[in-house]
Amino acid sequence: MPSFDSLMESHGVSRRGFMKFCAGVAATLGLSQAMVPKIADAAEQLVIGTTSGVLAPALWLEFASCTGCTESFASATTPDVATVILELISLNYSETLSAGAGWSLEEAMDQTINATKTVRNADGSTSTEPVGYILIIEGALMEGWNDNALVIGGEKSTDLIKKAAKNAVAIICAGDCAVDGGWQAASPNPAGATGVEPYLKKAKAAGQLDYDIPPIINVPCCPANPEHIIAMLVDYLLLNKLPQLNEYNMPSEIFGQTIHDNCPRRGHFENGEFVYEFGSEEESKGYCLYAMGCKGPQTYSNCPLVRWNRKVSWCIEAGAPCIGCAQANPNMADHGWVDLNSPFLNRFKHIGIGNFMFDPTYLAYGVGGLVALALIVHGFGMRAAGRTTGGADFETFRHYDLKHPDHPITDKPLAAEEASHLSADMQDEAIDEELKIAQPQLYDPKAAKKKGAAK
Amino acid sequence: MAHLAHYKQAHPLPFVVTHWINLISMIVLVFTGFYIHYPFFPGFMGIARGAHIFLGCILVINMIVRVVLAFFVKSAPTGGTRETVTDYKTWLPQRDNRHQGIQWIKYYLFFKKTHPLSAKLGVPQKISYLCIPILILIMAFTGCCLWSVTNTIGPFAAFVSWCGGLMVVRIIHYYLMWVFICFILLHVYLANIEGLEPTKLMFLRKEHGGLVYSPEAHDLIGRDDLKKE
Ligand code: HEM
Ligand code: HEM
Ligand code: SF4
Ligand code: SF4
Repeated sequence: MPSFDSLMESHGVSRRGFMKFCAGVAATLGLSQAMVPKIADAAEQLVIGTTSGVLAPALWLEFASCTGCTESFASATTPDVATVILELISLNYSETLSAGAGWSLEEAMDQTINATKTVRNADGSTSTEPVGYILIIEGALMEGWNDNALVIGGEKSTDLIKKAAKNAVAIICAGDCAVDGGWQAASPNPAGATGVEPYLKKAKAAGQLDYDIPPIINVPCCPANPEHIIAMLVDYLLLNKLPQLNEYNMPSEIFGQTIHDNCPRRGHFENGEFVYEFGSEEESKGYCLYAMGCKGPQTYSNCPLVRWNRKVSWCIEAGAPCIGCAQANPNMADHGWVDLNSPFLNRFKHIGIGNFMFDPTYLAYGVGGLVALALIVHGFGMRAAGRTTGGADFETFRHYDLKHPDHPITDKPLAAEEASHLSADMQDEAIDEELKIAQPQLYDPKAAKKKGAAK
Repeated sequence: MAHLAHYKQAHPLPFVVTHWINLISMIVLVFTGFYIHYPFFPGFMGIARGAHIFLGCILVINMIVRVVLAFFVKSAPTGGTRETVTDYKTWLPQRDNRHQGIQWIKYYLFFKKTHPLSAKLGVPQKISYLCIPILILIMAFTGCCLWSVTNTIGPFAAFVSWCGGLMVVRIIHYYLMWVFICFILLHVYLANIEGLEPTKLMFLRKEHGGLVYSPEAHDLIGRDDLKKE
């Protein structure tokens, strides 16, 4: 049996490179550096173990997608530790990566799903239970046209997922399409694209599943970052646990801080140094992309730390505003991340309720303007009515009092009584006459009303 | 010329102060809010965000102070009188306003020639002022959902995930600002359309002569031209 180091060497990986990898995994998973030797140890044990034959089975199912997540994942071509780790899993089905095709491959999938093992119970008897497998999903399910919008090998995507989820130990939804339907689910979404978690939850609620939904790990981004997927696999294979998940079933360590929190252009943001136009001087200076519609302040992901393409660069470093691809939200599949964040190159201005989208900026300016206009017109009216210099003359009687003379609001006798206590210059004959308070005995609403009408 | 006398008792000094703070905070909040929404000129973001969050807090504290003071400070229940009652009573329905709501609407729509008798705040004003503290609280709540210092705290975090993310909250916060803008337009209009006297009283504590009103009799009882005795 080859030693671990020589196995690594044969992949062109030095011991130092291996330790660096383990440290990187620990960082992505939010583990302390004290865990690094443990990861290294577990990896060694597992690799040595698997050379003698036990691989963790995995299925990679692809639904409505561009295959970008597979591409991104498979572009880990240069020999390195990640490929070694990948050798730990037995990828029994992948449309793109598997050598086989057609019925034989479909059969391999069925075998993986239905594989059973014999376990010895405490009382000495034996029973069989499923072996289990990691189910990785790429792409959206499609519910359009009675689920016929997407049919693979004669099976509807919705039937496939129900079949494949059954014995999975965990489902990793790789990329936005698997999380919330992604690009396919963008309004008006005629094919009824949706994510795995929302679909399975709906199916469960409708009583279409005779099993409990296995743990789901959503790994958003478009495509899913291979570093994130590898971290999930390592977490599960080496440390034998599921990562800590947030309310969107995403690993909270990876999707716990905003892009904006860790962005290298943040200093420019605080200084108000913005790119307003591509090709401008500001752009060449690497200013903040906020005014170009950067969604970094609203997007939770560790892209600035983990970066992309084998840590070469990432969206904002490459000069493109974040389009918020980590915002795919399994709880909001009817209004996916594309609708939520478009237009990408503008500060967001659309509001969507389900498939109904509109741009309320004009509405806001319109209503605001209308109110202002109405007030101006009203102001001219008030002026024409002579009310702008102190208002109109007060009513002599409340309308209610004229209608209900038996129980008026105004206490006219008391008013007369109080008026008589005012200092001399505050009593005014003309006013008294006009206000009908000095002579309460004259207070006869019916007569007053008639008098008003005669005017 | 038929307006009521404007006495300081209508707006005691503490309320003049809270109103000044309201005015200044709102102007700055709306300006910086627009700026944060889209930075239409460079070089101001740090100041804008600092000022926005600071004055947001001030606005909330000021609002709380104003509401608490309403239970301790006395103010005139109606215009045209120096008599005072504990201020919160002027927030409740008042007999002077009974059955006058429709009359106000008719008056503003020019269906009624004479000015309705009313309490310090007419029916339309009172309803819109009562909405203000609630609106400020909603703004503060959505603001705290956006602010990274506070948005991990239980209720704020729960609201963000209930809405479906920061992007949604941000848009709610933004469009609520427009509700404020419409309120301010209406408010400034209503306060000034019958002459600048109410504003001079509110901001400068300058009194003006006019008709005298009796809160007990719910009626006008004379005229005061502020001749000093
Ligand atoms: C009451 C009047 C207020 C108005 C009119 C107002 C308006 C606005 C506007 C227009 C934005 C920009 C939203 C966007 O990104 O498009 C904003 C952002 C914000 N507001 Fe307010 N706001 C008010 C009160 C508050 C209060 C009371 C707080 C907090 C205590 C607050 C905290 C924030 C925060 C943290 C942001 C996000 C700033 C950032 O992105 O860094 N606001 N506000
Ligand atoms: C140029 C701006 C403003 C002017 C001229 C103005 C004027 C006035 C006047 C004259 C009053 C007294 C109304 C009466 O008793 O009949 C008043 C009360 C009030 N104003 Fe304003 N105001 C302005 C801005 C604002 C702003 C921005 C706010 C807050 C959003 C505000 C909130 C209030 C409130 C809540 C009251 C009644 C409560 C109290 O008596 O303290 N005002 N204002
Ligand atoms: S480029 Fe985007 S994430 Fe970076 S500081 Fe500017 S707004 Fe924030
Ligand atoms: S920076 Fe934004 S757009 Fe780019 S991968 Fe990360 S979340 Fe997606």
